[in-house]
Amino acid sequence: MRNTIGYAAVVGQVVVLAAGAPLLTGWMRQVRARLEGRAGAGVLQPWRDTRKLLRKEPITPVGTGPAFRAAPALLVATTVVAGALVPLLSTDTPVSGHADLIVVVALVSLGTLALALAGLDTGTAFGGMGASREMTVASLVEPTLLLSVFALSIPAGTTNVPAIVSGAIHSPARLASPAGLLAVAALAVAVLAETSRIPVDNPSTHLELTMIHEAMVLEYAGPDLALVELGAQMRLTLLLGLLSSLFVPWGIATGLSWTSLVVAAVLFAVKVAVLGAVLAAAEVFWAKVRLFRVPELLAGSFLLALLAVTASYFLNGAS
Amino acid sequence: MPYLSHGAALLLTAPVAAPLVVAAACALPHARMPRPAAVRSHDRLPSVPAAEPFPAQPRHRHPADWAGLVPPVVIVLCGSLLAVDVLGAGPVSACSGLLRADALTAWMLLVVGSVALIACGAAPGYLAGERAAGRASARTGWHYQVLVQSFLAAMCLAVLTANLGVLWVAIEATTIVTAFLVGHRRTRTSVEAAWKYVVICSAGIALAFLGTVLLYYAARQAGIAEAWALDWPTLAAHADRLDPSVTRLGITLVILGFGAKAGLIPLHAWLPDAHSQAPAPVSALMSGVLLSVAFAAILRYRAIADAALGADFTRVLLAGIALLTLALAAGLLLGQRDYKRMLAYSSMEHMSLIALGAAIGSPLALSAVLLHIAGHGLAKSAAFCASGRILHLTGTSRIGRVNGLLARAPSVGGVFGFAVVALLAFPPFSLFASELGIARAGFTAGTVLAWVTSAALLLVLTAFAALAARTARMLLGPAPTAAGSPGATEPGIWPLALGLTACAALGVGLGPLTDLLHAAAQAIGDR
Amino acid sequence: MSAGLYTQLLDLACGAFLLAAVLVLWGRELAAIVRVFALQGVALAAVGLLLGAHEARWDLILVALAVGVLRAGVLPYLIRRALAVSAADRGSDEVRETQPLVNVAASLLTAALLTLLAYAVARPLTELNPTPATRALPVGLAVVLIGFFVLVTRRRALAQVVGFLLLDNGITATAFLATSGVPVIVELGVSFDVLLAVLVLQILTTRVREAFGTTDIDDLRELHD
Repeated sequence: MRNTIGYAAVVGQVVVLAAGAPLLTGWMRQVRARLEGRAGAGVLQPWRDTRKLLRKEPITPVGTGPAFRAAPALLVATTVVAGALVPLLSTDTPVSGHADLIVVVALVSLGTLALALAGLDTGTAFGGMGASREMTVASLVEPTLLLSVFALSIPAGTTNVPAIVSGAIHSPARLASPAGLLAVAALAVAVLAETSRIPVDNPSTHLELTMIHEAMVLEYAGPDLALVELGAQMRLTLLLGLLSSLFVPWGIATGLSWTSLVVAAVLFAVKVAVLGAVLAAAEVFWAKVRLFRVPELLAGSFLLALLAVTASYFLNGAS
Repeated sequence: MPYLSHGAALLLTAPVAAPLVVAAACALPHARMPRPAAVRSHDRLPSVPAAEPFPAQPRHRHPADWAGLVPPVVIVLCGSLLAVDVLGAGPVSACSGLLRADALTAWMLLVVGSVALIACGAAPGYLAGERAAGRASARTGWHYQVLVQSFLAAMCLAVLTANLGVLWVAIEATTIVTAFLVGHRRTRTSVEAAWKYVVICSAGIALAFLGTVLLYYAARQAGIAEAWALDWPTLAAHADRLDPSVTRLGITLVILGFGAKAGLIPLHAWLPDAHSQAPAPVSALMSGVLLSVAFAAILRYRAIADAALGADFTRVLLAGIALLTLALAAGLLLGQRDYKRMLAYSSMEHMSLIALGAAIGSPLALSAVLLHIAGHGLAKSAAFCASGRILHLTGTSRIGRVNGLLARAPSVGGVFGFAVVALLAFPPFSLFASELGIARAGFTAGTVLAWVTSAALLLVLTAFAALAARTARMLLGPAPTAAGSPGATEPGIWPLALGLTACAALGVGLGPLTDLLHAAAQAIGDR
Repeated sequence: MSAGLYTQLLDLACGAFLLAAVLVLWGRELAAIVRVFALQGVALAAVGLLLGAHEARWDLILVALAVGVLRAGVLPYLIRRALAVSAADRGSDEVRETQPLVNVAASLLTAALLTLLAYAVARPLTELNPTPATRALPVGLAVVLIGFFVLVTRRRALAQVVGFLLLDNGITATAFLATSGVPVIVELGVSFDVLLAVLVLQILTTRVREAFGTTDIDDLRELHD
């Protein structure tokens, strides 16, 4: 029984992630459309796009190697594994013992790396440009991700993500400290950069010179493109979910019961939907920053994360 | 136990009050006067002589110029009376311990007073020259008086206070007061010098304040009451109770910070610029006493640090700073083309020798340091005042364009020559005795310090060669034919000659000052 | 005020204080920098007020209020006035720090290093008397270092003034956190000196602009050897 519910929670997390990701993207586009005074294509549009792409015949450019072909699957696979580990619905699953912070960040960056390699593999100008830009961004984002979660792990005394989350549920004062506030700011910027959103990248741009993520995947078509899109959407959902789990942890199941799991699933959907709506609304009012100022933004968020770590390490008298 | 009396309170407050009173007296008559528009435009465009009435005026005496001589006299008088008091009955204090005089205070007051006497005595001549050149108006005249007198007051306060916080406030006040004196000409170079001066000195001095705060923290943690935790005698007496690591950090910051004001590396960059752009009497004051007042603050802190940390810490720090500063000054003297900057680098050279003496720290070395402070103050102020006169005569500050000074203006050239000879530490001037004292103390203080001292002497020799060659070039040679009629008697040359005589007299024998010098060295030496 | 709440509020004020210094480093518009600097003054006053309230010392509360008025009111007002004159005189080019000597991303990373350095340097200070206030001491030192960095790397005259004031704010914060403030007479003298220094620098800024036609300090290179 115990294992059943645990495995059900893991499967639930993956299913919610995979099925919910296109819906979240559709929801964000819809919110954005309404704020801009358009009718919008509906929440289900990303699913329809995926279905259309999957029906097409698989096609790869001449001269591309295994890196290009393996990247979409690798992207989705790493995201699925990370989704199974991160406590989106429950902190007490059979795999939660392995859900180390460093493993999660490594999985996320493995997906990024796969895509960047694929971009290089095509040998086109835009692919290489996008890959180099993506790696520039990633080199500043990964440490920020690590550090900001690390700031939260110091009061918990462990880098195990489920333990951090359940610790925060039991003593919410940890989150209102300066360290917590700095960490949330840093993590928010890092998530925006990692998921290629405004102000770092524009997901709906068609101007190749300003693209980062889109430039890398220009050569994909058919089912491969569907996988890449799905992978990107799942990463957005995963990171927003991680953000909400770390800083608004209430409602996540800490015990083993079906009801708490269902409640957690509903609350997760609500939290991520609210976050997505806020993000979409912000994107209406923000402009993308110039590419040359992106490192500034990321360096700033890195600094915030570092300050969060030092603050939580020193001010709490851990020394 | 310090004794209190009304007489002592008067002696302690007079050196600060007298310049302030004169400054106020100079400022008040002008405070209500509306600024005439013509004067303003005159200030900004100094090179329109014909339109202005000033050059046409006959050179009448400006009585306010001579009022500036009163405060230095008061300072010297108070210094001597305090010296007698201190030698007779130990340190005196007033104003609930804020003001305090020991032998070092009396010695520094005497130095400040006599250098100020030289500078203020040369000021009327300098101002007359500026007026003749159309670079000064009545307004700049009283501005100058107010600022110089406030400058003197701030330096006296820095010397007289026993509270390390007030000491900091006074030294920072000197920066603020002299900023406009450095930038008085409003040309590109002088504005640049003023900006660098204020920014570097304020930032450096801010570090010193951080160090003071840390020492205060250490003192409070050592159980010293709030009212006495910044009091120098208390801190020096209880220094062994201070936490060593906090004190180490604080002292390092203090030495770097006040070192900025004393022209020591690493925050020395303002010194040559400010000294070359300020009016000559102000350069004399800055080089002659401001640097040593800041260094006297370092000497006070050194006494605390040695008691708290042992002598090695400040020894390594000061010796390192001294050698680096000396190397830099000697190197830049070699390629120098501007004689005011040359004098400024020579100040850095002498300050680093003083720092070396403080690093050695034996009673002989400390006596030599104090004597060097006095001798350098007298000789350097004479040199700077004479350089101001040379600038008036020749209109240039380039060494290459000045020659035949001795033939052209024998009195000015002679004073400048003797001042440089004194700075080169030739006997009978007192700098000879003090440099010899520092070297002797260095060679007897252990192997490492002996090596440091020999390196320093080598660098001093380099500086000596550079300074001597350049000065000889300026002084000797035939007078340029185009030069105007040589002034038969130079106005305002007597204070410079008097200062050089005093410097030589100090070198021949200290006379009644011997006891004071030894008492002063003992006050900041090991207990 | 309970001990936990006091610690929490003190940490929050110190965090805001440090964050303001970082934002000064981040910003390019001088007007925005001055606004952030004023906010930092408020945070500094809050630190003093919290300490004063915690130790029930009225003199400290008064000093904190005076510091707040000076750092959050008077000094920003002075800089803003100089800025307005600059902008009216020379156009919008004068009110932006367009090209600092070290670019913004690198300066932010340097600030991170400086913060770590401050923590390393402050260890003996904290160990001497570990209380919530002294544990926040590295914040003061970090702001001192960041202020020094701004002073060295910024090219606009007014940005350098802000750097100097950051340095000073950091020192005042250190004094508050280490010893609940230096004696009142010293604090008064220091505040007065800082005010005068800013006035002097403001006037010098005007003269620099008159003499050089710009407030770019990099153009000040006539005096050298």
